[in-house]
Amino acid sequence: MLLLLVLLAEWCCFAAVGRRFGTLDNTFDILRHSVEIGLLALVMTPVILTGGIDLSLGSLLGLCAILFGKMWRDAHLPIAVAAVCTLGIGALAGGLNASLITGLRLPPLIVTLGTYSLFRGLAEAITRGVDTFTNFPQSFLNLGQERFAGLPTQVWLFLAVALGVWLLVHRTTFGRSFRAIGFAPEGARYAGLPVARRLALVYVLAGAVAALAAIIYTARLGQAKADAGVGYELYAITAVVLGGTSIFGGVGSVHGTLLGVAAIAVLNNGLVHARQPREVAGVLTGALLLLALTGGTLAKFLAGRRARAHFPAR
Amino acid sequence: MTRHFRELSVAAALVLLLLVLAVAAPAFFESQPLLSRLAREAPTLVVACGMALVMICRQIDISVGSQFAVCSVCAGLLAAARWPLPLVLGASVLIGAAQGAFNGALIAALRLPSIVVTLATMVIARESLRWGRQGAFVNLPDGLQWFGLAQRMGQGVLIGAAMLLLAAMAWAMKNLAAGRFIYARGSDAEAARLAGLRPRLTTFLIFVLMGALTGLAALMNVVQSPQVDPKSGMGLELKAIAAAVVGGVAVSGGRGNLWGVLAGVLLLSCINPALTYLHIEAYWEKAIQGAIILLAVAAEGVRRRL
Amino acid sequence: MKPALSLLLAVTLFAACGKRGGAPKLTIALMPKSKGNAYFLSCEKGADDAARELGIDLIFDGPTDPDPAKQNEIVENWIALGVDAIAAACENKEGISTALRKARQKGIKVITYDADALPDAREFFVNQATVEGIGFGLMDEAARQIGDEGEFAIITASLTAQNMIAWQKKIEERRAAKYPGLKMVALRPCDDAKDKAQSEATTLLSAYPNLKLIIAICSPAVPGAAEAVKQAGKMGVVKVIGLGLPSENRAYVHAGVTQAVILWKTLDLGYLTVQAAVAVAKGELKPGATKFVAGKLGEMKVEGDSIVLGQPFTFTKENIDQFDF
Repeated sequence: MLLLLVLLAEWCCFAAVGRRFGTLDNTFDILRHSVEIGLLALVMTPVILTGGIDLSLGSLLGLCAILFGKMWRDAHLPIAVAAVCTLGIGALAGGLNASLITGLRLPPLIVTLGTYSLFRGLAEAITRGVDTFTNFPQSFLNLGQERFAGLPTQVWLFLAVALGVWLLVHRTTFGRSFRAIGFAPEGARYAGLPVARRLALVYVLAGAVAALAAIIYTARLGQAKADAGVGYELYAITAVVLGGTSIFGGVGSVHGTLLGVAAIAVLNNGLVHARQPREVAGVLTGALLLLALTGGTLAKFLAGRRARAHFPAR
Repeated sequence: MTRHFRELSVAAALVLLLLVLAVAAPAFFESQPLLSRLAREAPTLVVACGMALVMICRQIDISVGSQFAVCSVCAGLLAAARWPLPLVLGASVLIGAAQGAFNGALIAALRLPSIVVTLATMVIARESLRWGRQGAFVNLPDGLQWFGLAQRMGQGVLIGAAMLLLAAMAWAMKNLAAGRFIYARGSDAEAARLAGLRPRLTTFLIFVLMGALTGLAALMNVVQSPQVDPKSGMGLELKAIAAAVVGGVAVSGGRGNLWGVLAGVLLLSCINPALTYLHIEAYWEKAIQGAIILLAVAAEGVRRRL
Repeated sequence: MKPALSLLLAVTLFAACGKRGGAPKLTIALMPKSKGNAYFLSCEKGADDAARELGIDLIFDGPTDPDPAKQNEIVENWIALGVDAIAAACENKEGISTALRKARQKGIKVITYDADALPDAREFFVNQATVEGIGFGLMDEAARQIGDEGEFAIITASLTAQNMIAWQKKIEERRAAKYPGLKMVALRPCDDAKDKAQSEATTLLSAYPNLKLIIAICSPAVPGAAEAVKQAGKMGVVKVIGLGLPSENRAYVHAGVTQAVILWKTLDLGYLTVQAAVAVAKGELKPGATKFVAGKLGEMKVEGDSIVLGQPFTFTKENIDQFDF
């Protein structure tokens, strides 16, 4: 609720300050730029709901992007086949995370910290740092650069994934189990939930969606390089936390994440229209994150006081 | 033996690597480059020790890289303005401690999650510094390098200081009540509170200490060359966390040992030069580092299962 | 809620205090490869001079992190903003061309500087010196320093930076053609950080005992490598040359640690870029031109679609004090 108001306030401020901010073209730009990070944020939400975290998504995006390019250019696979294979690779990589986290009961922060380096390192090693894949066919590039039925093409994919993730988290027993696991992992286990399998699901899903984001990224840019997606996982986490999901797990929502993604994207875009340098966007995003956190805590504190006022202790 | 399995296994891996180098590339042990490398890693060791304490306390601090850069640039500017060295040192430590206090206040007082708070402060500090400095180096006055001592002497002082600090902290963790509070807080904050310890104060002070250590490390880095690059400290948080984890500190808190952190720092810092000495291409570095972290953590997981 | 809103109010006021209103001035958008880089900082100074002289609005903005997509996003934001011309230093040739082509479609004039995009994505490329000029120049200087036989190493910013890759190719081309007795034994990245360059150089000095020269092709690496050579006590034994700023290398050049620093007048590059951008935006500089007058730089030659600032300039002990950037 709060975040929606912040978003509206941002929009009004920037529309007032920037001549071309509120135009349809610009809005489509905002949408297009936020698809990849938005996908990562969407799929990061169930991960964080279970009390985990995945720092390797940005590096996985880079790895999938160059593998996609390599399969298409060097193995001469048709684009569609290469894309499907890439999704599979993403899922496998997520599976690596999952097996270490659930199989060996290792903390997600550290496992994904390791894979963050490993995936990026593999991307650099495979391309020897220098290789880049370009000259994709125009039909593929249209995925990232053109419009389809009124909206930029990749936005349709994003909406489909958003809907899917929302349904998964909010309308299925899987989703409820994520929250239960995040809230009390031992309790969930005693309650008979197949915790290991559910956790595996979220990390594998995260990997697959990261691969999808990699494909869209390559289409948008027209190029695949080993340093694609650097820092994206941190943006994704920021969006998820802004949206009200607790980093400790158990509490959160997918629509909150979507608002978080929108808030950051509008902020970044709007500041360009307000002729402010990039650094201001970074500082304000950090400040917004802190405000969102303290705001939540403050709200709870005030609610607690009000409750105590109603029911004074003896 | 099993209590210190992790630390010993990291030390073993380090010894193995050193043996390989002794055979395949004995030039690795040449005294001047070795001394240079150790002096360069001394600041990382200091930060990693602080990070280990933070992690034992079941928190994390990913803003140390930006804190380091801010302290470095401030120290450089003060030195260029002809402040005497002891004051510059004090200022660097204080600036670091202030940043740490900001983190600590939000985390301890408001019970905010440390990963998100330090993510925010990392971004704010980094972007503000970039905005202000725009990448320009800070030229230091003569006589600041190596504290005004000869190069070898200066390097020795830095390495010695880092080791002394490590030893002092390791001793304090084991023998001082404050040290044991940290382990207690990390193992079970609620139990610690009920036992009369003050987990929130402990947490706050840990972050202040982390900041102060970062400020110290920044100065240790500044005296090693005649210019300060505002990009210094990039990736430092990753190095420190990785070194701590590889060295046996558990991210779930309550467990860890600073000597293991030393082994972790040494092992990870050897990878890059080892690649050069063994004439292996540079682009393998990240992959190998990631693999080591995963192996270290997986070994711990397997061991617990057995 | 209140703190968030007040923060936004502050932003709005802050932003509103910025340029607004008045007669519509030409708006030129200048993009470095990344912000926080002293090289581009000095380009910006020159650009500011030109902007003031010509009475136009200059926006200077660029990515703050290395993700290749960020440059595209900034260009697309500028398209939406409706700037008159864009001048970009391109980190990724093909990637950014996608966005630049779109800008041209919308009627925005596009030129590139320092590092080119694909030719169909821009009207002109303001080159400080050709890739050949830089690569060959470095290799020639290397040979001048160490003779016809010997080992050398290269320190670069990152393995993925495309214009550095291009320079490396030219260095190799020149080496193979003219100096086959010189061998490149190692190529190490320094992440564009001086401290890492110093560490890499220290290791190189020890791992390759017959090393005679280090070529540092990213500006923070030149003082970094020099410091490493100095600390190893190998001044004069291992020579250092590279592409760097005179201000960062002055002390080392005077001490004889660094033999030569090659660069070009970055202030002039920034100045020329803005002059060219304005000329293109106003329609004064069109494809097919062979020269144009660039303010205080005088008449500049236009070769095809390249405007060349000149030859790379070698800063040595004798002349480095004359330059202030």
